[in-house]
Amino acid sequence: MKKAHIGFMAVAAVASLALSACGGASTGGGASENSVVIDMWSGSEDDTAALNAQLAIAKEEHPELDITMRTAPWGDYFTKMTTNMASGNMACISGMNSGQLSGYTAGFQALSEADLKTAGLDAADFAPGALEILQNKGEMYGVPFDMSTMLVYYNADQLKAAGAKTPEIGWTFEDFEQTAKAATTKGKMGLGIGMGDFQWQALPISRAGVQPVTEDGTLDLTNPDFVKASEWYGDLVTVQKVAAPVASASDAGWGENQFSSANAAMAVDGTWNAVGYLNNDPGFEAGMAPLPAGKNGSLGLVLGSGFGLAKDCKNKDAALKVLGSLLGQKSQDYIATSGRSYPARLSSQPLYFETIDAKYRNQVKSTFEAAFENVQGQRVSDNWSKVGTFIQPNLVSVYNGQDTMAKVLDSAQQQFAK
Amino acid sequence: MTTTVNDRGRNTMAKAESRQALGFVSPALIGLALFTVLPVALSIVMGFYDWPTYGEKKFVGFDNYAKLFTSSPDFWPALRNTAVFTILYVPVSVILSLTLALSLHERIRGRAALRILFFIPVVTPMVANVLVWKMILQPQGMLNGLSMEWFGFQLPNFLADPQWAMVMVVIMSVWQGLGYNMLIFSAALEQLPDSVMEAAKLDGASGLTLLWKVKVPLISPSIFFASVMTLISSLQVFVQPQLLTGGGPGNATQPLVQFIYNQGFKFQDLGLAAAAGWILFAIIIVLTAAQFVAQKKWVHYEH
Repeated sequence: MKKAHIGFMAVAAVASLALSACGGASTGGGASENSVVIDMWSGSEDDTAALNAQLAIAKEEHPELDITMRTAPWGDYFTKMTTNMASGNMACISGMNSGQLSGYTAGFQALSEADLKTAGLDAADFAPGALEILQNKGEMYGVPFDMSTMLVYYNADQLKAAGAKTPEIGWTFEDFEQTAKAATTKGKMGLGIGMGDFQWQALPISRAGVQPVTEDGTLDLTNPDFVKASEWYGDLVTVQKVAAPVASASDAGWGENQFSSANAAMAVDGTWNAVGYLNNDPGFEAGMAPLPAGKNGSLGLVLGSGFGLAKDCKNKDAALKVLGSLLGQKSQDYIATSGRSYPARLSSQPLYFETIDAKYRNQVKSTFEAAFENVQGQRVSDNWSKVGTFIQPNLVSVYNGQDTMAKVLDSAQQQFAK
Repeated sequence: MTTTVNDRGRNTMAKAESRQALGFVSPALIGLALFTVLPVALSIVMGFYDWPTYGEKKFVGFDNYAKLFTSSPDFWPALRNTAVFTILYVPVSVILSLTLALSLHERIRGRAALRILFFIPVVTPMVANVLVWKMILQPQGMLNGLSMEWFGFQLPNFLADPQWAMVMVVIMSVWQGLGYNMLIFSAALEQLPDSVMEAAKLDGASGLTLLWKVKVPLISPSIFFASVMTLISSLQVFVQPQLLTGGGPGNATQPLVQFIYNQGFKFQDLGLAAAAGWILFAIIIVLTAAQFVAQKKWVHYEH
């Protein structure tokens, strides 16, 4: 019998182990009246240190509140948010990114003018278009702390060697084609063709002057202007032959890699990579320009991340105050001076350029300022990520001449317009 | 009387012992229930639900299965791709690795080194393998570079052409998996009974006759094992197309498992993914059972 007892004890021990492993601490919502929890992604110790600096600012401004921050890596953050949302455990203040928002609007409180006032924020303090970053179907679900848009990066050495004109602020699609053609020489290509959603759509959107999603969030991939501009983009590979066809559908960063390995003279990528391209490994002289202008001028998408308020937050006023601190002048100045990203608050933006190498500072500043003049918040449909997943492998067929852009866009529209 | 007392004693002993046994196996049982039985049962249930990763779950009966076969644009192509891959991969892999094992079985110099060489791709991480193959196959890569330099001939864009992409996925997979089957065959060949071989030789068997009539039947259990495992792994192929071709161009190299992955984790439709998973399971069971039936005709076991 004693032995049997040992057996049962073993079972009990294992069971309790399993149970304790499952029962992690879960504190969301905010239990007491003046406690506010912030959830945010963090990829490294640097990220966490920067977040803690912002947390310290919020604590200093609101000593009466008990503010805590929880972090998770980018990939896990959104999985965690899904489960937190499902179990009603979302943190009162949660980080959100413009590209992810459409899947999580259900968990966030739409912010009103009055909410911003409670937070001590004024829409006029933010850069034009910035408050559209975390908007979905006309509702604002968060306030951004940084903003980014797409630019054309170029290899100045390669353009010079080919005698091609250098892209500059105010250039047009004719200029773009000329430069791309002139730079396609001696085994080098004019452009690294894009595979990622933002990277391939930036030029067609700017050329057509429309987004492939309407204002109310309806998928509009078959908009004639957008189709025409997208066909033009595909033709850069198959007809104009100024870009190399993509080698495999698994090369998600094809165009950018072609550019940074000095195989292509230009590529479209986000402002977030500006510093990376300026300090590229092969050591070529890199430059940047806003997207070229089409008949209706130039149109770029403004992207970015920010903080929002959870729908089921119990102490909203306290949370809004924290939100105000996280996006206030002090916190935004900190983001800018640390050079981590381009802040959304107008008065903090100039500080960002001071972190850039003096050699490039003026170019980066003027390009950023020009690029952010012609931006619109990115509109996404409900299943926008599915659209991207479907289109990407099909782009390979388009670039290799086995399929047409119009057919691929039409097929995506048929499948995902529901 | 004594016997009944003994019996009773034995009974209580047996009961106590079985309780103890239960205690000792329970960690394994709990693990099995938690990580195998529960997910399997859950996936059966999921297959009958419209089950998004977040939001309302709705019972839909056989709708997911009907949707797969009638309206999903990628399901039939995925089935076709898996079939094409399996039909090309299994015979080529088994025959090539058997040939290799046979040729390395002869007493040639450096055969141990050669075996290690052929086994290296099996133990190298697939990501590294794929990276090397991409560098060889892409238009700016080695193959096209050599072809242009020597013959001035532009090779196709292998990984972006629907037919070539599948061929390349198969070739890369064969190269990668060759060493594993070769090792199985080599081990079997090393254990060929000397007495039988000697008898065969005394009877005048040599060359192809010896190979075909004696060696191959003797190692047929290993060939059977290798072909069953290779068939299953090829029906479950995922990493090679995912990394080498991304399932593209279009859906030309997207196998069933990648389809399941995309439905579940990119399109957040777990119900559809679970249904497709059970279809794959059914295919594997049927084909494996068929192999077990067929083996009675060609596999020889020594009794």
